[in-house]
Amino acid sequence: MLLVEGLEFSYQNGKVLEGVGFSLESGIGCLLGPNGAGKSTLIKCIAGVLQPTAGRIELNGASLLSMGFRERSKLVSYAPQEFGISFPYTVFEVVLMGRNPHVNPLEGPGEDDEEKAWKALEALGITDLAEKPFTNLSGGQKRLILIARALAQEGELLLFDEPTSFLDFRNQHLVLSVIGGLAKDLGKLVLVSLHDPNQALLFCDTVFLMREGKVVASGRAEDVVTGENLEALYGVGVRLIEVDGLRFVVPEKDETGLNLNSSCGGRYR
Amino acid sequence: MKRYLLAYAVVFFLSLFVGRFTFSPLDMGEIEKTILLDVRLPRIVAASLLGASLSLAGLSFQNLFKNHLAGPNLLGVTSGAAFGAVLAILIFTFNPYLVQGLSFLFGLVAVLIAWKLSRLVGSGTVGLILAGIAVSAFFSALVGMAKYLADPYDKLPTIVFWLLGSFAGIRWTDIRFFSVPLVVSILGIILLRWPLNILSLGDEEAKGLGLNVPFYRRLIIGLAALGVSASTAIAGMISWVGLVSPHIARLLVGHDNRALVPASALVGASLLLICDDLARTLTPAELPLGVVTSLVGAPILVAILARRRYHVAR
Repeated sequence: MLLVEGLEFSYQNGKVLEGVGFSLESGIGCLLGPNGAGKSTLIKCIAGVLQPTAGRIELNGASLLSMGFRERSKLVSYAPQEFGISFPYTVFEVVLMGRNPHVNPLEGPGEDDEEKAWKALEALGITDLAEKPFTNLSGGQKRLILIARALAQEGELLLFDEPTSFLDFRNQHLVLSVIGGLAKDLGKLVLVSLHDPNQALLFCDTVFLMREGKVVASGRAEDVVTGENLEALYGVGVRLIEVDGLRFVVPEKDETGLNLNSSCGGRYR
Repeated sequence: MKRYLLAYAVVFFLSLFVGRFTFSPLDMGEIEKTILLDVRLPRIVAASLLGASLSLAGLSFQNLFKNHLAGPNLLGVTSGAAFGAVLAILIFTFNPYLVQGLSFLFGLVAVLIAWKLSRLVGSGTVGLILAGIAVSAFFSALVGMAKYLADPYDKLPTIVFWLLGSFAGIRWTDIRFFSVPLVVSILGIILLRWPLNILSLGDEEAKGLGLNVPFYRRLIIGLAALGVSASTAIAGMISWVGLVSPHIARLLVGHDNRALVPASALVGASLLLICDDLARTLTPAELPLGVVTSLVGAPILVAILARRRYHVAR
């Protein structure tokens, strides 16, 4: 279980997280909220990339904030929103780097690590990409590689910051299905940030709504992703429709166009 | 890797018998032995250590700053070391030990200033690059000022020749002290080749993968600066080797630093040896080493870039 309490974080120009608190028991949790709500900052704080100014983060009862870099990264795997890889490493080399927390820095990875990296590629069915240069891959393939790297890292908690950004329609669903499989088949705890409420409804068990540095609502996806909540969150009039037992969010439209609420924020302001 | 070690050994061996004074390895008298062991061998050892060290510094900075065109002078080390040497020549009567000592010291001072300055700009790599550019420009300006002030008949030629770089007149005594920082720098970076892979992903991903980024970044910059300062102190400003050698090594072994680091060291050592062989044989008088490395390095870089473009175009 992931537990976050009273988490605060500030950049030089102001507070980004203000007393964030939530807990994720199991499955996939999703951070949903407008740009600038603090989703990425929250994920980076949990990943250990940023150091929060106050608060607690616990994974299965152990405090992540009091751990060193290495210890924490054995428990938490993180795939960032943007690809930092600028040298054409092969896909296998990239996935092997996921073994870093388990590797002696002066010796580098051994056979056991290579085997685990290969198994991560096998689990995602992408062994055919192993020798390809990472930088030549499509956006969707790159995402899958980063998921494989997170898997090779063997964290109990997997963090994916906007894993669907810049992907086409098919790849968005492919990536989310793969992430869903990790939670369901491997029993991993997963936290993602998303922009599309429909994807949250389709793929996530728990949803946390974020606005202006706070988690303003949380619960089962179907309970939290409601028309009223979304309107308050994004300032857009929406309708929920049901197709074959699945719920979908569509924007409300009249003759004058989309119903964009100028005083967006509503009761969450 | 054995192939590249063998290639380097061949270059090393041939370099022993290249020069204005030619003789057969099978027929050597006392004079030939002295030339071989006391003149050519120290020079070849120095060229090997410097080539390897400059190449590894270039490779480290390329990885650390995610920039294919980074070279050993990125943080102003070479410019600082050059100023140290010029200062010694300007103020004192020419004393090689003083020149080398001040040069080494100012190389390290330059990187420390760059490090401290970067804190003003921001803690990340961008801050370091900007601070490095500023420090490099500052020390280059001081070198320019020193040249302007120097006595044009006595000190100015000494300064200019020193800045052009050379291994001429290198003896064992010159290498004895500086081989320590050079070897520490080379072995240190070879040991840290796996963390270098992780650092090349950028701060955010490296931290996510559990690397203590500030510690390893400081360590690798320190080791690189140690090597570059010692190199510049021994032989003056040698350009291009540190930039080009890692790129040649990438063509041979790929981008994974586990293989790339040792390969870059061997390529750098071989390339600088070949350049030095050319410097002492192309013309009756020795050519300045810095000029030869630039003449050789520039076309190699263009060839590599052209090859890469060809791959992309395909």
